[in-house]
Amino acid sequence: MKSKQYSVKVYETKIDNEAKFMAFFDANYTLFKDHLIVINGLLSKTIENYLILKELRYMNNVTLPKGRTRKALEEELRLEKIEREVSQQLAEEKVKKLSTQLQNNLTVLDSMIRSGRELNIEGDLLLLNRVNSGATINTLGNLIVTKVVEGSIRCNGNFMMLTASPKANIVFHGVEVENSLLENRLNRVELKNNEIIITPVLKKETNWA
Amino acid sequence: MGIIIAVISGKGGVGKTTATANLGLGIALNGKKCVMVDFDIGQRNLDMILGLENRVVYDMVQVMDEEASVKQALIKSKVSENLFFLAASQTKDKSVLDSKKVEKLVTELKKDFDFVILDAPAGIESGYEHTIEFADAAIVVVNPEVSSIRDADRAIGILDSKSNKIKNGEEVKKYLIINRIIADMVQSGEMLKSEDILEILDITLLGKVPEDKGVIDASNQGKPVILDKKSIAGQAYGRISARLCGQTVDMKDIEISDSSLFKKIAGMFK
Repeated sequence: MKSKQYSVKVYETKIDNEAKFMAFFDANYTLFKDHLIVINGLLSKTIENYLILKELRYMNNVTLPKGRTRKALEEELRLEKIEREVSQQLAEEKVKKLSTQLQNNLTVLDSMIRSGRELNIEGDLLLLNRVNSGATINTLGNLIVTKVVEGSIRCNGNFMMLTASPKANIVFHGVEVENSLLENRLNRVELKNNEIIITPVLKKETNWA
Repeated sequence: MGIIIAVISGKGGVGKTTATANLGLGIALNGKKCVMVDFDIGQRNLDMILGLENRVVYDMVQVMDEEASVKQALIKSKVSENLFFLAASQTKDKSVLDSKKVEKLVTELKKDFDFVILDAPAGIESGYEHTIEFADAAIVVVNPEVSSIRDADRAIGILDSKSNKIKNGEEVKKYLIINRIIADMVQSGEMLKSEDILEILDITLLGKVPEDKGVIDASNQGKPVILDKKSIAGQAYGRISARLCGQTVDMKDIEISDSSLFKKIAGMFK
């Protein structure tokens, strides 16, 4: 069986005044010529002839499956559009927030992080001083500490840079980093193929003092 | 108008009260009017170290509660007429302290004395916070060992966030006293060097005090070690007190022991 499926525009009406009806159709002919005209109630010979003359396809007293009226359709489209705009706005805001969190948000600190202090940084952190024993630093972004670390650091960024810190507790993306692997210069710690790679970035030993 | 100095340490048993007693006496002997207030409520010791335990009639809690006047409660030292002492309450606990009462007491003392020295309790609880709240400066006492350094670091951190002066955008000066240094152990690397401690704490060095067996006896006798001219710890406290009174005294390097100096010289003639 071969079949095709169409959506057809239907204009449904009831005729009270024949002259008025014909005048209305004459005026809006371009609109109605692609519609299926459904006349409810009595269909006089005059009107029938008129419709045939105008080559309009028509039906009389039929019950068609009810589609949505144009108004309902427009309302539905409008709501859909609003919903789409809102969700797009939300998504954009989320991306923007995330990007400021992760990229455009660099904190630079030169104060000493003393014991008992806990820093939670959503972006990147550049720390130009010591992290003392008993202090904790958490970053979602990258972390660079130019002086010795004796406290604990938790970094979840793309990389972190540290000097040799034998007393520190260093966790990078949930994995503890072995202190002895850090040389006495600035080391880059990064994740490559689920493996922690530590590379000294400077050939000469650092002396930041 | 005087200066309020809190003597803090974080950890207990590092010599806070001993330092308070000796510095108070040292300042008084330098001709400045000084009052010491024991803030270690419930565990007062300063009166014993000063040898004034039998003279305590009213304590600072009674003064704060207006049961006694400051004049009634102040105890004059037997050694110097410039030195006064206000005892802590032994029967109450730290919870009786209240910011407004503390402020009233210390500002009243500040008017009459050049130096108001507050002996803080060990730890970082409310008693400690009240001691540092209205201080203009702090003397941090540490021993050359890691636990003392870490606790002092924490205490400094709290001072830097809770002090009244810091809240008003001003600075609280912090000075370091390294107590109970044993030169031989520093030389052999068993004890932390002063430079390492200063790097961790990053505050101004006020002085180094060597380990001295005489300190315990002096405390038991109620005669602070600064009065013993032969004692090396007493001499160190004498130098620190002079620095506090504005004199320039060179930092004596007590981390080089006589024996190691002798070995070095002996080595030169080998």
